[in-house]
Amino acid sequence: MLKWGKKLLFFLFYLFLLSVLVFVISRLSPGDPLVSYYGERAEKMDAQEREWAENRLGLRDPIPVQYVRWLENALQGDFGISYKYKMDAAEVIRGRIGNTLLLGGSGFLLIFFLALWLGVFCAWYEGRWVDRAICSLGTVTSCIPEFWLSLVFILIFAVNLKWLPSSGAYSVGKAEDVGDRLWHLILPLSIVVMTHLWYYAYMIRNKLLEEVRADYVLLAKSKGLKRSKVMVKHCLRNVMPSYFSIMAIAVPHILGGTYIVETVFSYPGIGTLSYESARYKDYNLLMLLCILSGALVLLCNLAAQAINERIDPRLKAGEFLKEPGVEDEGRGV
Amino acid sequence: MREEEFEIVGARDWQFQGPQDRKPARDAKERRQQRRILLTWGVFLLILLGCLLGGLFIDRDPAYMDLAHCSVPPCKEFLFGTDEMGRDLFAMVWHGGRISLFIGGVSTLISTGIAVIFGAVSGSAPKWADTLMMRLTEILLSVPGLLTVVLFQAVLGKATVGSISIVIGITSWMSIAKVVRTEVRRLRGSEYIIASKCMGGGFFHVLWKHLTPNFMPAILFMVVMNIRNAIIAESTLSFMGLGLPVQVVSWGSMLSLAEKALLTNLWWVILIPGMFLLVTLLCITQIGNDLRKSVNRRHSNL
Repeated sequence: MLKWGKKLLFFLFYLFLLSVLVFVISRLSPGDPLVSYYGERAEKMDAQEREWAENRLGLRDPIPVQYVRWLENALQGDFGISYKYKMDAAEVIRGRIGNTLLLGGSGFLLIFFLALWLGVFCAWYEGRWVDRAICSLGTVTSCIPEFWLSLVFILIFAVNLKWLPSSGAYSVGKAEDVGDRLWHLILPLSIVVMTHLWYYAYMIRNKLLEEVRADYVLLAKSKGLKRSKVMVKHCLRNVMPSYFSIMAIAVPHILGGTYIVETVFSYPGIGTLSYESARYKDYNLLMLLCILSGALVLLCNLAAQAINERIDPRLKAGEFLKEPGVEDEGRGV
Repeated sequence: MREEEFEIVGARDWQFQGPQDRKPARDAKERRQQRRILLTWGVFLLILLGCLLGGLFIDRDPAYMDLAHCSVPPCKEFLFGTDEMGRDLFAMVWHGGRISLFIGGVSTLISTGIAVIFGAVSGSAPKWADTLMMRLTEILLSVPGLLTVVLFQAVLGKATVGSISIVIGITSWMSIAKVVRTEVRRLRGSEYIIASKCMGGGFFHVLWKHLTPNFMPAILFMVVMNIRNAIIAESTLSFMGLGLPVQVVSWGSMLSLAEKALLTNLWWVILIPGMFLLVTLLCITQIGNDLRKSVNRRHSNL
């Protein structure tokens, strides 16, 4: 109980710290939030109008005052209005989050199962040509920047072959049509899966290869167990805990990947929203998005840690937010 | 039990082969490996030299907009074609590569420098300071990378080659710092470190003379991967319009025109800079992997 209390406290403290950081940095940065509220008109305003508008949005006060006001409102569940959409920031996000969850969630599930399968497959055929071919192909796909792969896919499948749509989440007037939504999902989804899959499959493969070199495998074999049984019942079983914890940490990584894919496909999700809000200084929206993604990251890390602890008691409770380990390449953007 | 149901467990095939039997197989594998390493370095050096010295041989100005020749597909005069602003892609690719690689290198230098110092301080600090510093890196690690880059970029103002390198550098040191810290904690009790300290070696002396050579192999792979990630980050940022402006030619900013090119189906504007980017990234990854593979591999027991 005490342990969970401590974790909760840390969680809240972390969110507080994150909100302060994002608040201060975003307000110090150059750029004109009025443009996002008033559009073109903001550039033609004279000094008096500007002052009036800034007072109205509360942008004239010193930053600490602004922050305290924001925090007070936020604690009561009011995150302010989005300057661009002129409605509650929470409302704007609610309208978009479903799309991102669909893209990121289905991508995550596909990666989760495919990576496991591919990893076992490659470890089984270690060093043969299939393994080597998949490894080379995987290295290539994990090198390709997401945005460029998206562009190439759009160029091939949308512009030249005209098989698949190149942007959006649904065709005009077909918002309720499930088939149409899936139709629009194919390209972005395949890019999310392709660019992330190998990273995790390779991790499984390497962990299995380490496992296969352990001495208990010899014992199991000398008992007369079949190769496939040793692999699935013993080696894979030992790998699973670290796989689960890695996949828990993978949630934010994969979600971060969908952000870029979303902007290329102008897919109406959280990704395009956070890009817009950072670019056009839509402060309230940006704050809420940062806090949401920060909370998600932390929850996933806690989940990974809980999985690790439950399965492997050797890990000390103090080690928060552990990264995947030596295989970690650090995922840049 | 019949004879064929037996299987010899644990012993390796090669243990039953005479030395002359197993040599060719291993040689073939080694040769293949050698060839691949040679190829990787060859291609990488070719691109590197092309980018560094390309300016000497190409007389076309990459920024010159030849409005009479807009959107020309690859032909004899324009080897890689021109974009919709009439710039020659061939000249741009070599010039752009210089900036992309420069950003990759400089930001990695910055991030490695921060990581080594931060990790070493954290590793040799008392426990509470160490915990505090590691918590900090973990918090920074968990903030989405793109977001921090965008925010820092906003603080530094208008994007230039220098500011982009700095931004990418200060947002990508965390995972290396964690490894450095672990290694330093492991090493700091060693006799030679204590001896060096007893003889009056200062923090930076010990770090540079004794610690760095020891943890370098552990972080080398990550450092090489950082170069790759920095190049990817730069191109992604420039593509999204958050990085370098279109006038400053890099592989990323060349691709920022790609969305317009999609509409008019100018495939060369998208594919050619992208292929250069991809090949470079592949070479760097392969070099990193080769470095990592130098760790001794054992034989499968399965």
